[in-house]
Amino acid sequence: MTLAIEAVGLTKDFEKGRRTIWQRLRREPDRRETFRAVDGIDLRVQEGEIFGVLGPNGAGKTTTMRMLATLLEPTAGHGTVLGHDLVKDARAIRRRLGAVLSGERSLYWKLTARENLEYFAALYHVPAAETKERIAGVLETVKLTDRADDYVERFSTGMRQRLVLARALLPNPSLLLLDEPTVGLDPQAARDLRERVLELRAEGRTVLLTTHYMEEADQLCDRIAIVDHGRIVALDTPQGLKRDLKATEVVHLELSSPDHGEEPAFIGRLNGAGTVTHRERVDGSLRLTIHCTSARDLVPLVIDAARAEQVQVQNIQVLPVSLEDVFISLTGRALRE
Amino acid sequence: MSWTDARADARAFWAATRKEWRTLRRYPGSFLGFIFWPIALPLAFVFQAQAFSGGRSDTMAAFAARTGTHEVAGFLFVGWATYMWLSLILWGPGTSLRTEQVRGSLEAIFLTPVSRLVVLFGPAVSQVVWAVWIFVVVGVALWLGFGVVIGPAEAIRALTVILVGVPALYAIGALFAAVVLRFGEVSALVQGVRGIFTALCGMSFPIVVLPEWARTVALTLPPTYLIGDLRQVLLTGAEIGQVIGDLAILAGMGLVLALLAVFAFRRTEQYARRGGRLAQY
Repeated sequence: MTLAIEAVGLTKDFEKGRRTIWQRLRREPDRRETFRAVDGIDLRVQEGEIFGVLGPNGAGKTTTMRMLATLLEPTAGHGTVLGHDLVKDARAIRRRLGAVLSGERSLYWKLTARENLEYFAALYHVPAAETKERIAGVLETVKLTDRADDYVERFSTGMRQRLVLARALLPNPSLLLLDEPTVGLDPQAARDLRERVLELRAEGRTVLLTTHYMEEADQLCDRIAIVDHGRIVALDTPQGLKRDLKATEVVHLELSSPDHGEEPAFIGRLNGAGTVTHRERVDGSLRLTIHCTSARDLVPLVIDAARAEQVQVQNIQVLPVSLEDVFISLTGRALRE
Repeated sequence: MSWTDARADARAFWAATRKEWRTLRRYPGSFLGFIFWPIALPLAFVFQAQAFSGGRSDTMAAFAARTGTHEVAGFLFVGWATYMWLSLILWGPGTSLRTEQVRGSLEAIFLTPVSRLVVLFGPAVSQVVWAVWIFVVVGVALWLGFGVVIGPAEAIRALTVILVGVPALYAIGALFAAVVLRFGEVSALVQGVRGIFTALCGMSFPIVVLPEWARTVALTLPPTYLIGDLRQVLLTGAEIGQVIGDLAILAGMGLVLALLAVFAFRRTEQYARRGGRLAQY
């Protein structure tokens, strides 16, 4: 299968702080510390798939996107997008790339939706003869045809975000980069946008999206790369990632436990029916997250262990394994921490 | 660049101009604001000139000898009108780029394959609208207030001078835009340059009154030629042929400054791409 994106060892360093004009004039050596935002990412995104980059804020998702969108030059590594070199052939990439990177504020609010699209159609070099039809098409795709001649300042956040998506579709791109496309949207607007993304894949387009919403990644993506501290820590299908966890269910327990003495004994009584992946004490309670293959087998053991160790079970919650659990097991912390 | 790309960029250039015009149209209040100042500011200088000269014929003759016209009001109104338009142009590209940067639309523009020259110079044409507006206000004020009539022939000659001057002035503004991309701030520099232009380019006086060294500096600055030529075609009845030498210098300066602006903008764009500053502000 043809690759839409191939990146090898993609790395981006930023300098921390700033160098003053005085320091520059005096030609003082640059003593600023370097911060590595992306640390040698390898990516192979196939044509026609929805590929998700999942990770917490500051993991390097957006920086990776900006490099792939040719807005940022990599410090090291190389890559091709739609067969063109990221650095040497940036303009050729931009001809065939649609991207939603900067959110709904990146529109001209004093222009109508159609006027915004007319302007960007010209910037995307859409031929004059096709512009009208192309704009009508993208407006239809994002369900904004009836509001085409309204000023953008009168749109809701969700409508503006859809218009940004329409703008990204103007060059009829074979690849779309969507950076946190549903952030700030209400649930209905977010659901609408996800439906649009699925339709785009059905049209044969490749979509690379970043998100820190695991449900979104789970629902939309054919494959997911989990990133943390600028590195890919796992890459597979959502099912594959969950399978690697060797658990099908997650049991969240809250126990009243006045001191720490019973904790090892309590866990020991579970007889290996589950693996404790997270523990924390909150206001005298002990919270445990246990991965297991069968909650039906584990829960009776929990009740017995609680009775034997004289701790009170305050709450039990059984959930199917999610990508959040995968992330916690890989990094030791939650996505939103 | 291929011929197809060049044509597409030309269309994008026109689209950028049209976008600016559309936006301008939606802020009609700003046009009203530019009725008051092009009249009030020079008027104060006209009264000042009357007070200093005491209305004596020998002082008026001295003024005419140095400026080539007896129209004190016309001289001052044209000078200040040019200054106001110049200020708009100097602030324009830097402010516009900064606004795009803050809004987030700069990244959206840089995601397109359009030439950066379009981004840089596209909004320039809309500046002519302001020039025309300011000079129309000044023309009407001169006619109603001082009986100075500027006919269609003079107006067309003035428009020619303005069109020749736009690239040079806008290129200076574009240099400021490059500074915005590099440092995120440009007001101190714009204020400084505006001050130099006010002091040396003869907004409210003929540059012959300047010391020799200052006159030499003034003759290296595009606004000096623009203001001088506008006064000549509007107030002394000079034909374009009589100021063609100045216009050639102005066009030459425009070319050099535009090349410099393109070079500076490319360098700062590269810097912004390395440091991720396109979306930072």
